[in-house]
Amino acid sequence: MFDLQLLFNGIAIGSILALAAIGLTLTYGILNLSNFAHGDFMTLGAYLTWLANTSGLNIWLSMILGAIGTIIAMLISEYLLWKPMRDRRASDTTLIIISIGLALFIRNGILLLYGGSNKLYQLPVVRALEFGDLRIAYYRLIVIGLAIAAITALHLILQNTKIGKAMRAVADNIDLARVSGINVDQIVLWTWIITGTLTAFAGGMYGLIVVVHPNMGWFLILPMFASVILGGIGNPYGAIAGAFVIGIVQELSVPLLGSEYKLGVALAIMVAILLVRPQGLFNK
Amino acid sequence: MVGYLVFLTIYVGLYSLFALGLNLQWGYAGLINFGHVAFMTVGAYTTVLLSSQGVPLILAIIAGIAIAALLGLLIGMSTLRLREDYLAIVTIGVSELLRLIALNEEWLTKGSFGIQRFPLPLDRFEPNLVQEYLLIGVLTLLAIFAAWQLGQGLRSQYREGKSIQGKSYQPTKILSLIIWGILGLGIILTVYINGCAALLDYNYKAGLMLLVLIALAVVYWGLELLVKSPWGRVLKAIREDEEIARALGKNVFWYKLQAFMLGGAIAGLAGAFYAWQLTTIYPSNFQTLITFNVWTMVVLGGAGNNPGAILGAIVFWAYDALTRFYLPKLGWFSSSEEGAFRVMVIGLILMVLMVWRPQGILGKKEELTLGK
Repeated sequence: MFDLQLLFNGIAIGSILALAAIGLTLTYGILNLSNFAHGDFMTLGAYLTWLANTSGLNIWLSMILGAIGTIIAMLISEYLLWKPMRDRRASDTTLIIISIGLALFIRNGILLLYGGSNKLYQLPVVRALEFGDLRIAYYRLIVIGLAIAAITALHLILQNTKIGKAMRAVADNIDLARVSGINVDQIVLWTWIITGTLTAFAGGMYGLIVVVHPNMGWFLILPMFASVILGGIGNPYGAIAGAFVIGIVQELSVPLLGSEYKLGVALAIMVAILLVRPQGLFNK
Repeated sequence: MVGYLVFLTIYVGLYSLFALGLNLQWGYAGLINFGHVAFMTVGAYTTVLLSSQGVPLILAIIAGIAIAALLGLLIGMSTLRLREDYLAIVTIGVSELLRLIALNEEWLTKGSFGIQRFPLPLDRFEPNLVQEYLLIGVLTLLAIFAAWQLGQGLRSQYREGKSIQGKSYQPTKILSLIIWGILGLGIILTVYINGCAALLDYNYKAGLMLLVLIALAVVYWGLELLVKSPWGRVLKAIREDEEIARALGKNVFWYKLQAFMLGGAIAGLAGAFYAWQLTTIYPSNFQTLITFNVWTMVVLGGAGNNPGAILGAIVFWAYDALTRFYLPKLGWFSSSEEGAFRVMVIGLILMVLMVWRPQGILGKKEELTLGK
């Protein structure tokens, strides 16, 4: 039994996950940082978008402002936390615990300022498109289109620009990249800018089709990590594929397991991959 | 006042147990367990469900501990061979999944309605005067044990200070040892005197307090023996450099698995006490935030240091009690904002500690490699 409606929902959630997971895998691979605050940066992006939107801007401009704000927040965390700790050669576990502290700080900061209630954008109401039995919500279609555009742009940057090449080199081997004359600090900056943009878009888009909520990003951190591990850490294309797999399988599991256990599906896929192929599907 | 201090003592005691479990996993074996509350959930629900089916409490709690250890085995088997950060991700997922199961499998756990009226230890116990004095006697023994441990700790610090005087790093100052001694004795005396008052005017919580303190003393004593044994030294070696332990012919995976399971079992025990303290348990009592609270305790007190874990629990609950008391008086926040603010500060403390003082209050910096 195959449900097109669920498949479509899965693709929509998968495209959001993909954007968020790209950022996570880039910082994971390039900076060796498993950032547990990543989901909360996504929430931050969504809230900034919501703030701009409710103060009267249209949604697309708001999302761009949200992205700029998220990039600034990520750069602050880079210069206050990650860079000093990297310079001190802190161990990965130290960084992980700091990221948990940062996650609590951001999430509860948002909760303190804007409360725990659900927020909605001010959007024109658009009728769902209908193709026979299949009902396609307009904004889900927009989300998928935006994700494809963002992924294409990322692909062009990674493959065709000097920065993209240097990023891949740094992800491969940071010391080798440094001795071959790559300005690592500049690459780190660009990594955060790309990560911030994609993560904030993911948050903004999640608000578009679901709702804006202080816990939204935190609840997505497990599927994000599952996507990253599925695709192999540091591999953005793998993360995209992983995100679509996780998103679609989660939705298709609903008739079998009920919607409460979506998280369990992501966890099960992740544990299965860790047992069979811990380096991910696409890494050697 | 007596009742409130009893309440605090029980929470500090059960969180100390919980923190000791995490300290064994993270402080001694270097395992990042971000789902510590999962073990507590399993311990609490198993004990409560079995005992309400008429299983004797002592058997129910043993089953709770055993199943918590089994959960450790399951998680450990799948992830302990891999990179350390995978364990963090998987444990976070497992703890959320367990909470979802507790929330949705209503046939088993009654879901969000919560489980009420389950058997409690020493619930219908009405001691006569002789029995009350007997209980106070037990409490006295515990206080003497605590004071003795404190004295031992201070003496070893003092000796260490003497033997390394003039060497490259500064030993602990005598004055600070005296201050620690006074603080420690003060806490022990407060708990003891308040405990005596509570036991003389016996109610259920006073009995529970005594049970928690007994469990804490036994677990603490056992752990101190364990971590000072060759087994504990192997664990520390694994934490510092796995390859060296492996080169010495130690089965690293097996040691890690043992530490993970034992830490989980201790958390299961803490879970049973948590259920008895709450007397009604809901899935919302077992949120991931509890894991990070206990992480703050261990990091604050000092990773790889058992007295540190207990100190962390005391400081944490002092922080909690003080902010609950004084924040409303400031009138800055509404009550829901207050909760968010309190957790925000905890996040900040965790970050600041890891950046400036990763060894915590009592941890040894020389012993912990925190960088490469």
